Amino acid sequence: MTGRDYLGEFEHIIVLALLRLEDRAYGVTVRQEIEFRIKREVSIGAVYATLDRLETKGYVKSHRGDPTPERGGRSKRFFRVTAKGVTAVNRTQRALQTMTKGLELIRSY
Amino acid sequence: MTPHPDLVPPPRIATWLVGLFVLPEEESILGDLLEEFCDLASKSGVMFARRWYWRQSLKTIAHLFGTGFCAAPWSTSAAVVGGFVLGGFVQGLPDKVLSAVTDKYLTYWSAHFPAYLWVLKAILIEHFVLSMSVGCMVALAAKGREMVATMTLSLVLFGLAVPAYFALVAEHWLIGEALWWMLFQCAGPFAIVIGGAIVRTRRSAATSSWGRVIRNL
Repeated sequence: MTGRDYLGEFEHIIVLALLRLEDRAYGVTVRQEIEFRIKREVSIGAVYATLDRLETKGYVKSHRGDPTPERGGRSKRFFRVTAKGVTAVNRTQRALQTMTKGLELIRSY
Repeated sequence: MTPHPDLVPPPRIATWLVGLFVLPEEESILGDLLEEFCDLASKSGVMFARRWYWRQSLKTIAHLFGTGFCAAPWSTSAAVVGGFVLGGFVQGLPDKVLSAVTDKYLTYWSAHFPAYLWVLKAILIEHFVLSMSVGCMVALAAKGREMVATMTLSLVLFGLAVPAYFALVAEHWLIGEALWWMLFQCAGPFAIVIGGAIVRTRRSAATSSWGRVIRNL
């Protein structure tokens, strides 16, 4: 196993947001989900940059919806997590749990 | 498909700037920005939505610039290096032409000194136009990464000009003159980015008109 098999912090957050949103996951909903859950303003550019990277790695797949007038005639790009992505997020979660086990983070800091 | 007639338009300049960095296959970014802008404008007011849109646009441009460079680092660097060499070659041309002309017709220019001063001012315009041409050439070479390549070249030139400015000030203490020199040096990088924007806008227009033709078939 190499270090590349783990997700980075923002990649991890994005994949978890996609898993929560299921088939409603596209740029706007992913950005809003992250902002709502972790109270951190993220740019749509950062979301897409990470999603593109995850797609290159094979962790997510995307498809286009139909163009709508509300979006100036532009289509939505929907994302979903692949089986490889689920494996990667589980591995990262396990690694984080293993590393934090025994540490009393809340009481110490 | 035309936009919805009841939509509040987002800041045009911000949309145009993001559009310069977005590839045709990434147009959903602009759609997402517009969708959230309209949502915010109806909930929190147009002014708030406009501020949000500008903030998002600038952050998005920064990300697109970074990812654009990382996606094709070698071809972008090659275009930048080519532009740097080309810029170095063409920037000296107006001075050489002016020297040749003034040396040949020295008596004429001595008698018409105000005209000579005007020619000197024209060098500023030539400097701007030549830099813009270099920007266009770099953008033509870096297809799809026009703005990334021209902005990188501009940052390199600006980065070289700043230490030279401080060296000039430290050596001669001619702060006013050095400031003018710095403004002259900044005009070049600015013109290079404008050249890149021109090529990018032309290419986007050509792509969208071809897209319309294909959709209508």
